[in-house]
Amino acid sequence: MERDRARFKEVVRGRIREDLRKYLASSELVGKQGDKVVSVPVPSIELPRFRFGSNEGGVGQGPGDVGDAADGEAGEGEGGSGGAGEHEGNHILEAEVELEELASMLGEELELPRIEPRGRDELEATGGRWTGIRSQGPQSLRHFRRTFRRALVRTIAAGDFDPANPVVVPIQDDQRFRARRPKPRPESSAVIVHMMDVSGSMGREQKDIVRIEAFWIDTWLRSQYRSLEVVYIVHDATAKVVDKDTFFHLRESGGTKISSAYELCLDLIQDRYRPEDYNIYPFHYSDGDNWSARDTDRCVTLVREELLPRVNQFCYGQVKSAYGSGQFKKDLDVAFAGDERLVTASVSDRTGIADAIKAFLGQGR
Amino acid sequence: MVSGPSLTPELLRCAERAEEAASNAGLTFFDVVFEMLDAADVNAVAAYGGFPVRYSSWRFGMEYERLARGYDWGLSKIYELVVNHDPTIAYLVRSNSLMEQKLVMAHVFGHADFFRNSAWFAPTERQMLERFDDHARRIQESVDRFGQDRVERLLDRALSLEPLMDPHGPLRAYRAAQGRAERGDDAGGASLSERARASLGQLMDGAVRSASADHDLPTFDVLQFLCRHADVEPWEREVLWIVHAEAEYFLPQRMTKIINEGWASLWHSRLLTGGLLDASEVVEFADCHSGATQAAPGQLNPYKLGLDLFRHAERRGMDVFRLRAVHNDVSFVDEVLDAEFAARSSLFVTDPARRGAGPRIGTRDPNDVKQALLRSLAWGGQPRIELVEVHEGAVRDMVLRHDHDGRDLKLDEAGEMLRTIESLWKGPVHLLTREGEEARRLTCDQGELRMRDDASGKPRARAEAS
Repeated sequence: MERDRARFKEVVRGRIREDLRKYLASSELVGKQGDKVVSVPVPSIELPRFRFGSNEGGVGQGPGDVGDAADGEAGEGEGGSGGAGEHEGNHILEAEVELEELASMLGEELELPRIEPRGRDELEATGGRWTGIRSQGPQSLRHFRRTFRRALVRTIAAGDFDPANPVVVPIQDDQRFRARRPKPRPESSAVIVHMMDVSGSMGREQKDIVRIEAFWIDTWLRSQYRSLEVVYIVHDATAKVVDKDTFFHLRESGGTKISSAYELCLDLIQDRYRPEDYNIYPFHYSDGDNWSARDTDRCVTLVREELLPRVNQFCYGQVKSAYGSGQFKKDLDVAFAGDERLVTASVSDRTGIADAIKAFLGQGR
Repeated sequence: MVSGPSLTPELLRCAERAEEAASNAGLTFFDVVFEMLDAADVNAVAAYGGFPVRYSSWRFGMEYERLARGYDWGLSKIYELVVNHDPTIAYLVRSNSLMEQKLVMAHVFGHADFFRNSAWFAPTERQMLERFDDHARRIQESVDRFGQDRVERLLDRALSLEPLMDPHGPLRAYRAAQGRAERGDDAGGASLSERARASLGQLMDGAVRSASADHDLPTFDVLQFLCRHADVEPWEREVLWIVHAEAEYFLPQRMTKIINEGWASLWHSRLLTGGLLDASEVVEFADCHSGATQAAPGQLNPYKLGLDLFRHAERRGMDVFRLRAVHNDVSFVDEVLDAEFAARSSLFVTDPARRGAGPRIGTRDPNDVKQALLRSLAWGGQPRIELVEVHEGAVRDMVLRHDHDGRDLKLDEAGEMLRTIESLWKGPVHLLTREGEEARRLTCDQGELRMRDDASGKPRARAEAS
C-alpha cells in the first residue's frame, strides 16, 4: 500500500504541476499553509467512463410534498452518523505538498532563475562540518580507525607485523584526530516588506490579487533563503506595520500618501534589517493613485536615494481598480527607466498574476 | 465452521454463537474466517477490494487516502468487510465495541449466506486470493520488463473499459456450461472458473490473437472482445485479461448491492434481537442499527431499501430465501416494490436541479418511482454499449452502439473512451448514439475525434471533445 500511496502522490503532484497556472490565479492555496506544507485541493482524478450526461431525476426517500426541495432542507432533515455508504461523485482531495516543492514547481513553470544572494563577501559566515583530519588534537576527538590504520601501515612497513599474532600498537605519530573543516557558507537571510495601499479605492478583489501574489512571492523567496522574515505595512495617508491577518483584511478609507509607507520601510531597514545582514525585498501594491504629484516626487527621491542602494530589488505591483488612475506606475517607469533594480508590473485581473510574479522574480536578484 | 485465529476467546465465543444462531435460522454458508485488523489496515484492505495483495496501482493509493481521510475526520468508518471466497473471509475492526462486533458478525453470516446461495455469485471464482496473488506477480513482471509507465498507462486504459462488460454474461455462460454438463457434452463437469482459468492460461501462454472476430459479435463484453482481438503485444494482452478476470469477479457485487446489504441487515437485526444481544446492549444496538439503516434526506440508502423490501416481501407472504437465491437488485425491486411499499417508504422521483434551485420532489406516483428506480439500477447503472460490427480488411474499424434509453451520454468523456479503445484496437472506432432525438455518430480515427449527424452524414463542427 505504501508504494501505491507514494505513486498516487506522484500522480497528484504531476496534476498540480500541470494545473499550476490555475492555482496561480486562485486564492485556494492562500491560508492553507502550514509550517512546511501546503494543502492543495485537487479534483479527484478519475478515469474516463461512458457516463450519462443529462441530469436525470433520481429516486429519493423522505417526507415532503411534490415540489418541495428533495434534499429535505426545508423539511425535517436529520443528521447523524452514516452507515458504510458508498458515495460516488466528485471528491476533492487535499494533497499535502511541501512548500519547497511548490516553489520548485513555480520556478519551473515561470522559468525563474535562482537568486544569487547579494554581497556574498559581507554575508559569508563560516560553518563547517567535522570531516577533516589532523595529527594533533584532544583525545576526545581521536579518530580510532584512522589511527589504527596509520599504526598498521607503519608496523607492516617496519616488517614487524605477524599475521599469527596481529598486535598493532599505535605510537604518538600515528594518532589522528577529527577536525572541523571550515566551509564558507553564504549567510542567507532575507526580509520581504509587503506594502499595500488600503485606501478606499482598493476593493476586495484587488486585495485578493495582492494576497495571492504575496503568497507566491513568499513561497519562492522562502525556497531561496535559509531564513525569511516578512513584514507587512499598510498605508493610506499614514503607514503602519501590521500583522499578516490585518494586512489582508483591513479596509481603510481616505487619501493615499505612498511616501508614508516608503518612509516606514526605510525606518525598518535602518533599525532592524541592516543591508549587511539581510537581502531586502520591498514590494509595494496599490492601484496607482497618489495624493499629489509632490508626494510622488518624494517617493521617487526616497526610492532612488535611500531604498535602492540598500535593497536587492524594489517591486511595484499595480492592481487595476475601478477608481485608480494608474498614474503612479507611469511616474515610476519614467523616473527609473533603464534601472533594473526597480521592477514594475500591472495586474488587471487574476490571470495576470503569473506574469507579474515572473516580472518580479524573473531577474534572479 | 467458524474460526478466528486473531480473535480473543471472548470474541471467538461470540462468533460461534452467531454461527449457531445463523445455522438454526436456516442460513447456509462456506466456512467463515474472522480476522481482526486495526482501522488503518482495514482501510488498506478495503482499498484493495477486500484482498491483502493486489497489483500495484496509484488508484488503490487514492482510494486508501479517501478512506483514511474519512476515518480521520470522523466522517465515515468501515465496520466490516466481507470477501466472497471459500472460506468466506471477514474482517473485524479492533476499535469496535463488543456489541458492534456482535452486530458485524451476524451481518457477516448474512453476506456469507448470500455469497453461497445467490445465483449471481455461482459463477464467481472462490479462490480469488491465490488468483490476485498470481495477477500481482504477473503484472510486476511486466513492470520489471517494460517499465512502470507503460504498464500503468495500459492498466488505466483497461480499467476505464471495465464497465464495458456484460453483467449477465458470466451467469449465462455458467448456465450454458451446466446445461452441457447435464447433456454430457464437451466441457464435462468443469466449472466455469476452471474453464476460465484454463482459457486464461492458454491465452497468456500462447498470447495469440484469436482469429474470426465475427464469431464473437455482437457483444456487450467489449473488454473481453479486446482481450481476444486487440492488436497488442502478448504482455499487454495478459494485462487486459487480468483486468477482465478481476472485474468479472467483482461484477455480481455491483449488481446485488441492495439485495445483499438488505439480506445481511435483515439477519443481523433478527439474530441480535433473537438472543445474541445482552439486555444491556439493546439501546446501543438500536442506535447503531438505525445509524446504518437511516435514509439521509432525499437519498436512498441501500441498507435501508434492501431491508425494507425484504420485510415487505415477508408481509406479502413471499419466500425470502427464494428471493435472495434468484434475484439481483433490478429483478428484486421489480418483484417486490409495489404501490403500498412506495407509499410506506415515502419514495419519490426528483426533478433534475434547475438553475438556482436544488432538486425538487417531482412525483410520488408509484409507477414512476418504480420505473425511475429500475432504470437507475439497470445494467449496473451504466449506459448499455454494444459492440455490433467489426471490419477487418484494409480498414480495420469497429462500431459501438449506445442503447439510448432517453438518457444522453456525456459526449466529451465518450470521446475519451473512444480514444482509449482505439489505442488498443489500432483502428478507427465509431459510436452510434443519440442526443435527444437526433442520431449521432462519434468517430475516433488516429486520436482525432469527429462527430456527424448520423442521418445526413454531414460533418458537424469539430466535436466538443478535444
